[in-house]
Amino acid sequence: MFEADILLEDIREILSAVPFTLFMALVTFVFSTIIGSLFALAEYRNIPILRELIFVYKVAFKGIPLVIVIFLGYYGLPPTIQFLASLIGINFNGHHTPNWVLLVIGVTACIAAFQAEVIKGALNSFDNGQADAARSLGYTNGQLFRRVMFPQVVIAAIPDLTNSIMVIMKALSLGFAIEVVDIFAQSQLTAALNFYYLEAFVIAVVIYMIIAFLVTTAADRLERSLRVWT
Amino acid sequence: MIPELMTALPLTLVITFVALVAGFCLALITTTLRVVRIPILSSLAALYVSYARSVPVVLQLFVAFYGLPLLVAIFGMADFFTPTVAAMLGLSFYHGGYLSEVMRPAYLAVDRGQHDAADSLGYTFRQKMMGVVGPQAVHIALPGYGNALIYLTHNVALVMYIGAADVMATAHLIMERAYNQYQFETYLVLAVIYSIMCLIIWVIVRYFERRSPMYVPAVGRAKRVAMPSL
Repeated sequence: MFEADILLEDIREILSAVPFTLFMALVTFVFSTIIGSLFALAEYRNIPILRELIFVYKVAFKGIPLVIVIFLGYYGLPPTIQFLASLIGINFNGHHTPNWVLLVIGVTACIAAFQAEVIKGALNSFDNGQADAARSLGYTNGQLFRRVMFPQVVIAAIPDLTNSIMVIMKALSLGFAIEVVDIFAQSQLTAALNFYYLEAFVIAVVIYMIIAFLVTTAADRLERSLRVWT
Repeated sequence: MIPELMTALPLTLVITFVALVAGFCLALITTTLRVVRIPILSSLAALYVSYARSVPVVLQLFVAFYGLPLLVAIFGMADFFTPTVAAMLGLSFYHGGYLSEVMRPAYLAVDRGQHDAADSLGYTFRQKMMGVVGPQAVHIALPGYGNALIYLTHNVALVMYIGAADVMATAHLIMERAYNQYQFETYLVLAVIYSIMCLIIWVIVRYFERRSPMYVPAVGRAKRVAMPSL
């Protein structure tokens, strides 16, 4: 076991799935952060009905395992997309939606609930005295947000956002259930071809750990360099 | 359909329970190793934690399923790894690593002065842990522990992929018997079942969260959050 030529072959094949996985992770991260920020802002501002709706959303998506959310999206989204398209007069066969889009939508819906928590924590860490100071200097709400709040909140959120990138990478591995090929699914496919299962999975483990290490190191560095000028 | 799903619930619960207990013990050992700083052992513990946290749980399950039999074979024992046992062990490893990252910050968050005070009063290490530092760390760790339990419940839904006959696998059997007509509905039922399980866990953890502050001085108490574990 663990012969060199098989390992090299496997590494080459499994690495070929890395760019697409990172791409999906990036898309999911961007969308879930945007949605989560909107949720957190609505909660921070205490908007009456929206607040309760978001609470229900969060409870629902945190209680359901991600596999089930992905499967629900896989079977539920295509008809929904087709119906919505027919409402605005487009004839679109929803079952032609690529699987990875369905996966990204499912994971985004789930992670957004967690991102809302992350952003809320960062918003809560913001010192309200600074808001008062800015107001007394005649800042408008927009200026206060852009010049005082946003730079500090973003930096406060960096560690948790990094963590959520890793959570997204891990969540995407469930895409193998709906035939999306990411690092894990590729290792499974490679293993199924040459029957060296453990080798392929160990390579995938190492790749995931290296990515995690790189992402955390980069984030640490980013945080440190940003903290200098604030 | 629901009664049939319920027949598989005991297995899911048993896997969860074993992972919960074994993971807790593993987390205690790992946390001790990381806090006490024994040269090689603590870096091994750190490696284990980063494995448990940065590798997808499906992949960890597959590694346990394919890797552990080899490990057992080296020691000359018979292969006893049915999918259920492999699922229990894989999830224990995952849960232990995750939990250790909840326990360590909680231990470190206890005020240094509390250690010094206990030492100066002549407490032994065991008395200090049980009487002074432990209760406070438990209070800090409880919300995170609730989260870890909920994630564990979510991840038990994945043991189907290495062949354990849990609720998800039974649901797949049911769906296939109906010629895959009612997939969306079946997954909705599953979503409800898992939500109820998470809700029960949340209620139990919150009961302890309510009780835990009575062992903690008023200064060290964590701020009450509405639904910390969800």
